[in-house]
Amino acid sequence: MALNKKTRRAYSVWALMRARLAGSGYWRPLWSGRKLKDAYDVVVVGAGGHGLATAFHLARDHGLERVAVLEKRLVGYGNVGRNTTIVRSNYLLPENHCFYEDSLRRYETLSKDLNYNVMYSPRGVVDLALSDDDFPALARRGNAMLLAGIDVELMDIAALERFCPQLEPRRRRRFPILGALVQRRGGTVRHDAVAWGYARAATAHGVDIIEDCEVTGVRTNGGGATGVETNRGYVRAERIVFATAGHTGMIGTMLGVPLPIETHLLQAMVTEPVKPLLHTVLVYVSPGHGEVYISQSDRGGLVMGGHLDGFPSYTREGRWDRLEDVAQGAVELLPQIGAIKVLRQWAGTNDMTMDGSPIIDRLRYDNVFVNAGWCYGGFKTIPASGAACATLVATGSAPDLIKPYRLSRFATGHLLDERGGGPFPVRQ
Amino acid sequence: MTRLICPFCGPRELREFEFHKTLPAGPGSAFSRTYERIDRPELSVEHWQHAEGCRGWLLVRRNPSTGAVLETRLLGGAAVGGAP
Amino acid sequence: MSGDVRHGTRVGSGSIRFSYDGREYSGQPGDTAASALLAQGVRFFGRSVKYRRLRGVLAAGPEEPNALLTVGERPAVIPNVSAPQLAIRDGLALRSQNRWPTLQRDLASLLQAGGGFFGAGFYYKTFMWPSWRSYESIIRRLAGLGEAPGACETPPIAVEHLSCDVLVAGAGAAGLAAARAASRAGARVVLCEREPACGGELEFEGGRIEGQDALPWAAATLAELAARGARLLTETAVVGGSEGQIVLHAEPGGLPGASTLYRVRPRSFVIAMGAVERPIAFVDNDRPGVMLLGAAERYFARYGVSVGRDLVLFANHDRVYAAAARLAAGGMRVRAIVDTRSDMVGAAGVAASLRVELERRGTACLAGHAVVAAEGARELRAVRVAPLAGAGTVRRIVCDALLQSGGWSPCVQAGLQEGGAREYSPGLGAFLAQAQPQWRILCGAANGHLELGAVLADGEAAGEQAARHAGHSTDLPTAAAGRDEWRGGNRGDGAPRLAAFWRSPAPLKAEKRQFVDLQNDVTVADLRAALAEGFVDIEHVKRYTTLGIGTEQGATSSVLGAAILAELKGEGLDKVGTFRSRAPYRPVALKALAGLRVGPAYRTARRTSLDGWHAANGAVLESSGLWMRPRYYRSNGDDAFTAGIAEASRVRASGGIADGSTLGKIEIAGPDASGFLDSMYLTRAGTVKVGRSKYMVNLREDGMVLDDGLVLRLAPDRFLATTSSGHAAHMLSHFEHYRDTEWNGRAVTLTDVTEAWAVIAAAGPQSRAALERVLGPDWRGSLKSLGHMDFADGRFEGRDLRVLRASFSGELAYELHCRPGIAVTLWRALIAAGLAPYGLEALDILRVEKGYLVSSEINGETTPQDLNMDGLLKLGNPCLGRELLDRPAFHEPSRPRLVGVRARDGRTKFQAGAQLTTEDESRHAAGHVTSAVYSPALGEWVGLALLARRLGEEARIVARDPLRGGDTPLRVVPPVHFDPAGERMKS
Repeated sequence: MALNKKTRRAYSVWALMRARLAGSGYWRPLWSGRKLKDAYDVVVVGAGGHGLATAFHLARDHGLERVAVLEKRLVGYGNVGRNTTIVRSNYLLPENHCFYEDSLRRYETLSKDLNYNVMYSPRGVVDLALSDDDFPALARRGNAMLLAGIDVELMDIAALERFCPQLEPRRRRRFPILGALVQRRGGTVRHDAVAWGYARAATAHGVDIIEDCEVTGVRTNGGGATGVETNRGYVRAERIVFATAGHTGMIGTMLGVPLPIETHLLQAMVTEPVKPLLHTVLVYVSPGHGEVYISQSDRGGLVMGGHLDGFPSYTREGRWDRLEDVAQGAVELLPQIGAIKVLRQWAGTNDMTMDGSPIIDRLRYDNVFVNAGWCYGGFKTIPASGAACATLVATGSAPDLIKPYRLSRFATGHLLDERGGGPFPVRQ
Repeated sequence: MTRLICPFCGPRELREFEFHKTLPAGPGSAFSRTYERIDRPELSVEHWQHAEGCRGWLLVRRNPSTGAVLETRLLGGAAVGGAP
Repeated sequence: MSGDVRHGTRVGSGSIRFSYDGREYSGQPGDTAASALLAQGVRFFGRSVKYRRLRGVLAAGPEEPNALLTVGERPAVIPNVSAPQLAIRDGLALRSQNRWPTLQRDLASLLQAGGGFFGAGFYYKTFMWPSWRSYESIIRRLAGLGEAPGACETPPIAVEHLSCDVLVAGAGAAGLAAARAASRAGARVVLCEREPACGGELEFEGGRIEGQDALPWAAATLAELAARGARLLTETAVVGGSEGQIVLHAEPGGLPGASTLYRVRPRSFVIAMGAVERPIAFVDNDRPGVMLLGAAERYFARYGVSVGRDLVLFANHDRVYAAAARLAAGGMRVRAIVDTRSDMVGAAGVAASLRVELERRGTACLAGHAVVAAEGARELRAVRVAPLAGAGTVRRIVCDALLQSGGWSPCVQAGLQEGGAREYSPGLGAFLAQAQPQWRILCGAANGHLELGAVLADGEAAGEQAARHAGHSTDLPTAAAGRDEWRGGNRGDGAPRLAAFWRSPAPLKAEKRQFVDLQNDVTVADLRAALAEGFVDIEHVKRYTTLGIGTEQGATSSVLGAAILAELKGEGLDKVGTFRSRAPYRPVALKALAGLRVGPAYRTARRTSLDGWHAANGAVLESSGLWMRPRYYRSNGDDAFTAGIAEASRVRASGGIADGSTLGKIEIAGPDASGFLDSMYLTRAGTVKVGRSKYMVNLREDGMVLDDGLVLRLAPDRFLATTSSGHAAHMLSHFEHYRDTEWNGRAVTLTDVTEAWAVIAAAGPQSRAALERVLGPDWRGSLKSLGHMDFADGRFEGRDLRVLRASFSGELAYELHCRPGIAVTLWRALIAAGLAPYGLEALDILRVEKGYLVSSEINGETTPQDLNMDGLLKLGNPCLGRELLDRPAFHEPSRPRLVGVRARDGRTKFQAGAQLTTEDESRHAAGHVTSAVYSPALGEWVGLALLARRLGEEARIVARDPLRGGDTPLRVVPPVHFDPAGERMKS
């Protein structure tokens, strides 16, 4: 890829050595320092993972030279930096697993594509079966994936014991572990690095990333949008993309389009670092808000999350009893971690749709687009979403991969309800 | 937010209540009632149930940006109070 | 030093023996690991995680970043225990961390040579070739602080729920004054203190209060509080919570273990949690021997430990002089006081006179100077001191301890949720919490007061305000007693006259040894590098450099880091701000956070009234949702497959009984009950006659099938609806919601009677005869006349019994709804009459043979048409959910339809969860097998499937199950595999 020398130096071990010899002043800012212009081909609202990836692909793949990302607060301050860093493509519905698989494949090479180490760690994602009834459901999902050419395996208790001995699957538990659906290429990716890597790469391709720039309205001329109102004044735009995650519902309200979205909080927490203890990602879903997923970061902290807080919120202050739910599940799953201490908790604001799947489509106007509805699964789709959304915006037609994510599916009945939870986001 | 005031039972911990849904944009069609939502930062109108209490269904008006409870009333009943 | 008995406020006489890195040490009762080891001359407590630099003790509390120890023996080790908080006890085995093979000689410390190479963010720039994965395991092993536990053997924790008027957090001067004021006003008070002893800084700073010395005053205040019924919780810290519930955690001895989690419901919450002393950054400020001034004072006052013989004090405020005087009085030699302020020279007041006295005794008092570097290869040997203005000479002062104090950061974390905002106070060089809600009050040092009189007055005012908010009057004479008295009392610790000073000047190249965050080895150079790369916001800097994310939660590093960032950016600290702090305010062990709901109490199991019988008679119980249900009985086979076939065969041959108590049961009563059910179900209930039942289906709001069950008409205005097991609570809510919204004002009552009735299903050709024998002559007539779907009410053993003729097996069958108290009697009698128990495995075989539905088919994704309920739809009853069934996608040929499937060869096994494709298609599924069993009645595997409607019975389909085996060619058959005419059931 063409490097913009002013904004970017290639990263490598040799560059690190050169930088050391050069002392200070070798490295350049990754994205900061761009000035807001008064007109763009495309204005992307929101410098989270999806917005940044969309802008990057607009500039790199479609050659658009005037692209801006306008961000209310900071690059990567929202959900891209607040998730539990899990990537996987083990979805049931073909529309979903094909899309998530496209994303996982892009994650596999993302560090090299962006020249930024996003620390993709294919340590496996283990969905545990806790009753005989869980097996058909896991098998249905796994078989669907295998038909689509996505690797996954069903482990019995002996295989699981070999794969994750720390789990001690034969230990007596309230809900005994009977096996698991395991996707070995699933794993974790360093979340902040994804935001920063895309921001740096987009900047190198000429994208203006403007922080502290809040979009407050859309100006239209009847037939279409002409630009956005911001706290820094009016910015003309040929096309506008909203990639605002938990604030998408408000964007819909702003544009007069009621969306099939409720906004919910999802918490996560991390413990103090300890030496390697868990080498995979465990997903444990037991009845009664018993959901917990847990992995160990490369720094050594156990990162875990659970069920949604369960009611709409923009506060980012999670409810305490949900932390207790997660801790209970974690200790039930791995009793040996009982004495490990939780250091901090945080929360993300999730745009939960009425079928649990995303929306990438036009919104009200022919030149306004929305990339949203990521529920709690947005992080793992960033590379695919960015590429596909950019194609939609640049060419005007949606690639096959995201056609199922059209907004009209709720009205036509082409729902993508992975869990069968129905139009109640708290049950998705 | 850690509590809601149940019109029957008084202030009770959040864990006793179950959120059901936000109220849709307007009366509208069945589709609109089921799927469409108006998202406002300062007001969320919701149905909750005091599921582990009196099982009363509640209309709750909250500010989702602060967590403040503005009104809690039995569905069909009279308003009884805001945040504790 | 060892051998002498030390005296302090916390240590008693006696000897406790413990080990550290394999060597034996001793301490006195009341000692912490840090105090006992320091007393015996131990300087090294571990290595830093990134550069592996030797580290000592910095602090005397939870803000300690360095001295983290691993406690205990494998596998049940406890990592990262803060030495200043860990109470020693006999036999305790401690180990230092981040070193291999030993603390003195660590192989990975060779990485130190890499210095600038391993600066902030270097991971992001390399390790990309060939892949991160190839480096990850080595990097993971180098990271990670303490050893990973292989087991956790701590005792179960206790959970207590407390309610009070006023909760006061912190029992220092402010907290004691607040608690006393609230208590005197009549408020019920709970006072918690994170230390084992109360008094806070009074413990070492002394002073006089209300005519008493500080410590006796504290003791008297505690006695008064006890007499007034206040509850004191020591070694208990606030960890989280918000309005209405504050969560406290008690961790006696500083070890996760016998801890208690308190959920406190106070009306008001007073935060008197004090302030944390801050270090100052200078070159090699991480050398063992560099400590916080307050820590040295605490070690001396509490445990009688002198942290050094020759001290240099380094500070930016007046209080250092009183501290120096106390340390000197304790026998330590104060070589120098390095004061960064130039205007302190000639200052009037207590500090000035103390200074004169110190200088007279040989202490060099250097104003306008700073410690610029520590010397010593492994531990502190000397410091280099330079004037801050002009070109003065750099002097070298030999010392074995440098005690620094850069000011204090108020502990405001607990005051930042639900509306609290952080605001920079330039006079303090610290952030305060503003915009507090009425129920929450910060006071004392946590509120920015540092002078004792002001601390006490602020505490008292907070206590009164809290009591008033809790509804108590503070105009009582007792409440006012003592006010004004402490305005006079004072000591050398007046207003500190602090002048913010964050780091000493250093050449650019040495900034990589100016540590800001000791635990994560974040240096000034890292902050500078982050800025150069465009990470300019404090939140970005935190994430990029890992500043302030350690186990001490940034206590000593977050404000320091922000301040240095402000300096580097040339901005004010008020503009830079500091990053958001998050609960828990103190680290809490997962087990403590989990509370009591662990082990057997994790998601408590629901058990039927026959559970005891099942357990005693060889049933293999399994979880079905939260319920425990028999899967099969061991007497019928060694595994579920064998036993299930035996049990199912017996039902069809003669008969059997199953425990159906988990069946959901909801009573719907009232004049509008019939109309209500009509609006909830796809078919009408109004047409059901009293004494009859009907199979009914209801829909979710979006048109998907929600549940199915039988509806019994008990009386003209009373119905009983059965729901799937585990679905009763949800169905009840669903009914109640509709009743209270769309049907608001109508006369319908809804009652969950699931647990009021035990249910025994008796099925099989001999079931009627067995029932007649068991129930006796009273029932003979009604049993004979009972048609399919009829029911009769009566008595058995003097208790209510309802017999419903309904079948989930296709056999002649009855559901016996009885009171739980007679369930076991009835069950035993049925066995005696020849019906043998069968479990879920057999139940599943019988229902799949008959094509009955469970949650595998009613999975939230299927419409009534998908499940062949077109007939029910055609009746045209306008119920909830119908409208949205008109959406076009639900009528496309790709929509599924419930069908039966069997292996084309009549032999091969196939399983639920297999995907279905046509023969010439291997990628795109046209459906899936929802249920599959081996049918003993038919002698082959039979299943149910959801298959695209475009594929009829002629379709050649294949069950694709690459996950578990292979492909099985299937034929499509009607969903009812066995006795399609239903003759057996109606016999």
